[in-house]
Amino acid sequence: MITLSHYIILGAVLFAIGIFGVITRRNAIGILMSLELIFNAVNINMVAFSRFLTPEGAYGELFTIFIITVAAAESVLGLAIILAIYRKRQVLNADEMNLMKW
Amino acid sequence: MIELILFYAFAGVTIFAAMLMVLSRNIFHSALFLALALLGVAALFAMMGSFFIAGIQVLLYIGAVVVLTIFVINLTKQVIGQDVSQVNELVLPAIITSLLSACLIILAVLKTDWGTRIAQSVAQSELTDNTAIIGRQLLTNFVIPFEIVSVLLLAALIGAIAIVSRDKEADK
Repeated sequence: MITLSHYIILGAVLFAIGIFGVITRRNAIGILMSLELIFNAVNINMVAFSRFLTPEGAYGELFTIFIITVAAAESVLGLAIILAIYRKRQVLNADEMNLMKW
Repeated sequence: MIELILFYAFAGVTIFAAMLMVLSRNIFHSALFLALALLGVAALFAMMGSFFIAGIQVLLYIGAVVVLTIFVINLTKQVIGQDVSQVNELVLPAIITSLLSACLIILAVLKTDWGTRIAQSVAQSELTDNTAIIGRQLLTNFVIPFEIVSVLLLAALIGAIAIVSRDKEADK
């Protein structure tokens, strides 16, 4: 019998892996991909809570839809910014993007 | 019983792919592992009975976000040497942070008394498709967020085009 705890613990593990990726990756594209992992951990939690606690309204699923949409918009803009920086300065690593650092 | 085996299989695939994605030295491989991890999450959504969310996950994440990421990787590939280290000097703090946050959530979950409410609602709703409920909610209670999100998508589209398009004066 799968319980709510199974899904939440899976979400926690995915979240931790995503945090690790965001902190350690040097490549800006890698940071964005780890962010997608964190979004997915949140989505698992949302859907699990919705299925196990309020299945009649599907509120968690609705919020998951909005999260996925906003994540798509975020990733489009992030990749566009990375591409623009790459064209101007030929850098891709987050620790080399120091133009605004004084 | 078979449900439990499926859950552990999909969860294992997801976590395995996520670990490989974070640790892989080749950024292209890590994009492919990201697709595998997202597919595992979609399978878990389907196991929970949210078939609509599972479909959206496959279409939007694997079909759009991962493909877009691979495009950008291919457009910027020259500077990513495959033997260049992909991790910075923050590995130890990162391990501590992620382990602590995972332990915090897992402890909180295990210590919570969820009560009897869960068992009842699962028995009622086991594997019923809730796509109809989602559709009705999106056009009644959630119609304003729905419209706002469409404006946000339009703004993101225009913004991405404006950022990436070359400015004419720089080309001259």
